[in-house]
Amino acid sequence: MPEAINLILTQPFLQRALVAGVLISLCAALLGVSLVLKRFSMIGDGLSHVGFGALAIACAANIAPLYFSLPIVVIAAFLLLRMSENGKIKGDAAIALISTGALAVGVMVTSLTTGMNVDIYNYMFGSILTMSNADVALSVVLSIAVLVLYLVFYNEIFAVTFDESFSKATGTKVGAYNMLIAALTAVTIVIGMRMMGALLISSLIIFPAITSMRVCKSYKSVIVSSAAVSVVCFFSGLLVSIRFEAPTGASVVCVNIFALAVFSLLRAVFNSSRLKVGGKKVLAVLIAVVSAAVLFAVPLTGTVNVYKKEKVSVVAATFAPYDFARQIAGDDAEVTMLLAPGEESHTFEPTASDIMKIEQCDVFVYGGGESDEWVKSMLSSIDTEKISVVRMMDVTENLKEETLEGMEAEENGEEEEYDEHVWTSSKNAEKIVKAISEALCAHDEENRKAYEERTEEYLSKLSKLDEEFEAFSKKADGCHFVVGDRFPFKYLADEYSLKFFAAFPGCSAQSDANPSTIAFLSQKVKEEKIPVVFKVDLSTGSVAKSISESTGAKVMTLYSCHVISADDFKNGETYLSLMEHNLSALESALPRKS
Amino acid sequence: MALIDCKNVSLGYDSHIVAKNLNFEVNRGDYLCIVGENGSGKSTLVKSLLGLIETESGHLHMGDGLKKREIGYLPQQSAAQKDFPASVFEVVLSGCLASKKGIFFSKELKNLAQENMEKLDILSLKDKCYRELSGGQQQRVLLARALCATKKLLLLDEPVTGLDPVVTADFYRIIEKINREFKITIIMVSHDLYSSLNYATHILHMKKDGAFFGTVKEYLESDVYKAFSGGEKNA
Repeated sequence: MPEAINLILTQPFLQRALVAGVLISLCAALLGVSLVLKRFSMIGDGLSHVGFGALAIACAANIAPLYFSLPIVVIAAFLLLRMSENGKIKGDAAIALISTGALAVGVMVTSLTTGMNVDIYNYMFGSILTMSNADVALSVVLSIAVLVLYLVFYNEIFAVTFDESFSKATGTKVGAYNMLIAALTAVTIVIGMRMMGALLISSLIIFPAITSMRVCKSYKSVIVSSAAVSVVCFFSGLLVSIRFEAPTGASVVCVNIFALAVFSLLRAVFNSSRLKVGGKKVLAVLIAVVSAAVLFAVPLTGTVNVYKKEKVSVVAATFAPYDFARQIAGDDAEVTMLLAPGEESHTFEPTASDIMKIEQCDVFVYGGGESDEWVKSMLSSIDTEKISVVRMMDVTENLKEETLEGMEAEENGEEEEYDEHVWTSSKNAEKIVKAISEALCAHDEENRKAYEERTEEYLSKLSKLDEEFEAFSKKADGCHFVVGDRFPFKYLADEYSLKFFAAFPGCSAQSDANPSTIAFLSQKVKEEKIPVVFKVDLSTGSVAKSISESTGAKVMTLYSCHVISADDFKNGETYLSLMEHNLSALESALPRKS
Repeated sequence: MALIDCKNVSLGYDSHIVAKNLNFEVNRGDYLCIVGENGSGKSTLVKSLLGLIETESGHLHMGDGLKKREIGYLPQQSAAQKDFPASVFEVVLSGCLASKKGIFFSKELKNLAQENMEKLDILSLKDKCYRELSGGQQQRVLLARALCATKKLLLLDEPVTGLDPVVTADFYRIIEKINREFKITIIMVSHDLYSSLNYATHILHMKKDGAFFGTVKEYLESDVYKAFSGGEKNA
């Protein structure tokens, strides 16, 4: 049996994804036919934006996202229908109003409260592989309800879709059935968002219907074909995502695009006047066979990266713990970094092979701040009994994210956030290293001695770094440093009493400062004759650049060691080398003596 | 007793009166054409006859065992229908929806749809795709669907708009056949005054300041007709 199929049948998280995915694809495909024919294709898009807004509020208020957004989106669907039925605002305009309105509310709420946390990202891009049992159960119940209702009212839905005025005249309760369609759509959108993401869910509704309408000549055949296309595309998309380690939602949509192209080609063949009937049939069968081969042969041939661990293994989410772990492990254990160099941690979505690596690993290390909240849903969806999970924020003392003078604040409401960049102080690094070392030793008694030796050696390097920073701390007494960027160095600053001004808090996803922030920072640079303004690695550095332009200060980079660039990774940079770089960069930022 | 009895009816929407003092009656077997300029309230009247909106005042009564939901209706075609993937049989069968009990269509209803397709000579098109038919064939399909919904009264809303002259003439002959042979009463809203005069038994001419109702013969002698047709010739 091909490896990918074998995986789907044996891995619980893939089984869950398959069940939920097939059911949601079916619902979306059936409803899609009605929506496309009623010229209401964009309702899916509109409702998914509403879903996003509702999620933002749910996250801010700490309510389970699905339970909160479900009723909100259903109400929005009713409202949409009301607005366009009254004819005061046309359908497309009503959708645009509601969808952009909801998006704006969502963005406002997130920016005023928790910021873009990962729960929201989860729903924007979907993460079917990390669905928990409860999520899957809810999806299954809801989609079966949608399917049953759709099939029971199949004839009514057809009549209402084909000709509202006739149906109304013959006594069909058109309004009620429109409501039914809207409500079913709303439910499908909400549960589909968990799987496909708010940005992609409407494609699941539209594509199979359009694809089938290319070729099919009766409503029933369109329905059957849409359902089939949708399920086949989902399955193939899942295989593609496993084979190429790509996000599932996007893979499914890409397969759908392929199916649309195939059906369009079939239509061209059928409508061709040059081909004889027999020729058309042969060609159609040929196209069908080739495309089926492409759909399944591509993801099924070639090697799937099935991860089988050979020795004791450590999986670290980000760069700093990865580097610590590899210093300790040497050649005796395998160390994996989940976030590829350069990858944005906020939008990270684990692939199937990532999850398999975590499932099989012995020690899993992650930060525990808001940028890796995906870990929470991921850990709840797998069996963690045999894994030692090291949450870095648990082994260090945590500091609250702080709004420095002149900094553009994220208003957090009552909930205060802890800064997650604990590793930026080398004293904390020592604690994390000890924790990883202990976990590793416990899983691999055989190599305990080797690990302990390497740990000792590494700890001494860290304490040398610590001494260097202590020394620098005395030299920098009272001096200010300016970071024209977000500020992930809270722990560093606190540990060595370094005084910083910065544009945004550590986890802010913002990169555009308002003019008063830039003015404030520029003024500080001028007042205190600071020769260097900092940007953080992997950022565009636009704020630092504009401060540099107005003051003449040089722009230099500080490394957060959270996620590093592909080049730095290739060049073999380590936590120590980057922190040494930071130290010398800070040295050159000391004010010129005048 | 008349099928439809309309006395002193005023029509309107959003508290805006579009027609007042309408008086007419429709008896079994009649062929009534409703003519008049745009904005004279024809569509509003159709909606009231279908029971979709209330009359503002007056008395619109259905008699002779006619129920509001038993009117076979041929609406104007919407743009969406032109590329709707549905088989002819599916469309015709949807006319039986009001009589459907339970989840599925019964054998009898399927037979009824079949019969009506036969009556209109479209049985051979049964499995064809609706959107691939010609305009005239599409109208026949919708007629067959309307026949599934009624045994008494057909209400047609500008059915020949967009059809070419040959197909139009053909369509009028079918309506005549339905009227004469199947004994179904016809009410047709039409822009085509001259054909209306040829086929109808009665004319309702709607105008902003009151309406004319009478037999075709009476209409031809009326001032309303003279002013209207004279106006048309000048135009």
